[in-house]
Amino acid sequence: MTPFLYAHQDLLLFAGVGLAKVIVFMGGVMTFAALLTLAERKVSALMQDRVGPNRASVFGFAFNGLFHPIADALKMIFKEDFVPAKAEKFLFTLAPFFAIAPVIALFAFIPFGDYVTVLGYRVDLQIADLPSALFFILALSGLAIYGTFLAGWSAKNNFALLGAMRGAAQMISYEVALGLTLVGLLMIYGTAGLQEMVRAQGALLLGFIPAWGVVLQPFACVLFLIAAIAENKRTPFDLVEGESEIIGYFMEYSSMRFAGFMFAEFLEMIVIAMLLTTLFFGGWQVPYLYEAGFTLPGGRAIPLDHYIVSALQVGSFTVKVVFFSWFMLIVRWTLPRFRFDQLMALCWKGLLPLALLNILATGAALLFLGKL
Amino acid sequence: MISVKKVNNRPLNFLERIYLPEIVRGIAVTARHFFTNLLRPGNILTVRYPEQTIPLPGAANQRTRHRLKLRADGSPKCVACFMCQTACPAYCIHIEAAEYAENSVEKYPAVFDIDLSRCVVCGMCVEACPEDAIAMDTKEIPGGALTRRDMLLTKEDLLRNLPGEPSLLGASNRLANEYLEGKK
Repeated sequence: MTPFLYAHQDLLLFAGVGLAKVIVFMGGVMTFAALLTLAERKVSALMQDRVGPNRASVFGFAFNGLFHPIADALKMIFKEDFVPAKAEKFLFTLAPFFAIAPVIALFAFIPFGDYVTVLGYRVDLQIADLPSALFFILALSGLAIYGTFLAGWSAKNNFALLGAMRGAAQMISYEVALGLTLVGLLMIYGTAGLQEMVRAQGALLLGFIPAWGVVLQPFACVLFLIAAIAENKRTPFDLVEGESEIIGYFMEYSSMRFAGFMFAEFLEMIVIAMLLTTLFFGGWQVPYLYEAGFTLPGGRAIPLDHYIVSALQVGSFTVKVVFFSWFMLIVRWTLPRFRFDQLMALCWKGLLPLALLNILATGAALLFLGKL
Repeated sequence: MISVKKVNNRPLNFLERIYLPEIVRGIAVTARHFFTNLLRPGNILTVRYPEQTIPLPGAANQRTRHRLKLRADGSPKCVACFMCQTACPAYCIHIEAAEYAENSVEKYPAVFDIDLSRCVVCGMCVEACPEDAIAMDTKEIPGGALTRRDMLLTKEDLLRNLPGEPSLLGASNRLANEYLEGKK
């Protein structure tokens, strides 16, 4: 046993650290997604001068509705697991997995911190540092369409099929715009690895402006946000679901299968918030905070412990992600739904030409100003 | 005179057509409401009902939970005439009449149930009662309950006078009280 451990020490350590990162990070993400289901209802309530859910209580303590995600989950588990008689049973069962699996895989590439040194071992705060992570993320988000379309088609319900067809058209269209908005970033940073992009965003422009993606590519940031919300199929782009008209592709789903689709939507929201943070808002970077501590533009330095710096960076990432998740909730409860022709016109006549123009402008700027 | 509101549908200008500034304005409105309500929850008008109540406005006081009034000697004013049961549009009143052993003129309700889960709080029973025996002035609002049994008001739940109420109002009640006095 011992020789085996010695022979494969590095590999085992790598596997152990990887597993620990998955458990901690995904645990955090799942908890946040559960809280987001509550936040969606609470935020909408507060926006509309209501109170929101506040009844679920444990031993008489309601904590203003904190237990509602647990109550919802229990309700979902105990609901009837219904399969329509005419449904394509195999695909009907498979669809929720197709919806949720690619989204969960996306979290592997998000850098949620720089690195921490534990007992002399360097632990990168990212589950998988893939050099081509950006392309992989676009590819995986393209897979999400299978969940939508299989669900709508296999249920053999006209409304579900209508929703699925809308979904397919919408997601394929916005995928193009989504990919093209990111080309500008690839040109500037010269890499598709997310951790490298975040490190590059730690630099300063003109000595005091953090070189965040939103500063270098403000246009792409707005386009990315719009395309990403459309890709996530949330209001104002929720024609796929259209809860007031066609219910959507998961119409025939009940119980935990439906919960799979709903949870996938909230996870997608977190992924979008994380991608927006990583690509455009400096990821885990805190302005003027470097490995040794703060170095303000005037040259004044405040040295900080390595662990405090790491905690600040992870905290910064968390705060940004929470903010953008909240922002998406606000957007969802503020805007009305588009018409389908408006949706398509926005993508093909609006976002796509603008994204191409952005690439052109970025290329011209790089050509004339030199490498940033 | 019908008032006519003239709507001036002018064409959208450029900033409105690109939609984003208007979105920002909309989000500013909703975000302002969000933060106001988050920081000062007292401004929300919602009444958290069973725990929190407000004084009922106007005539709503006269349409609350039912009660059956009592005479001076503690017997129910109700003479089990079935008027309220007949008048009830929701069929929520169930009465079983019985006779007093020593007074064969008058009946009394052996059973008087009101099913609050059916009651539409219309007040017809109060209007129909010839004896002024049933009233809806307890100012208790029939709310939710965890079991159906809790929604059922029996005679024991219903029979009560309000504090300080002489229960001597109404001609028939006065006569009944005089009769009771004479028997003593």
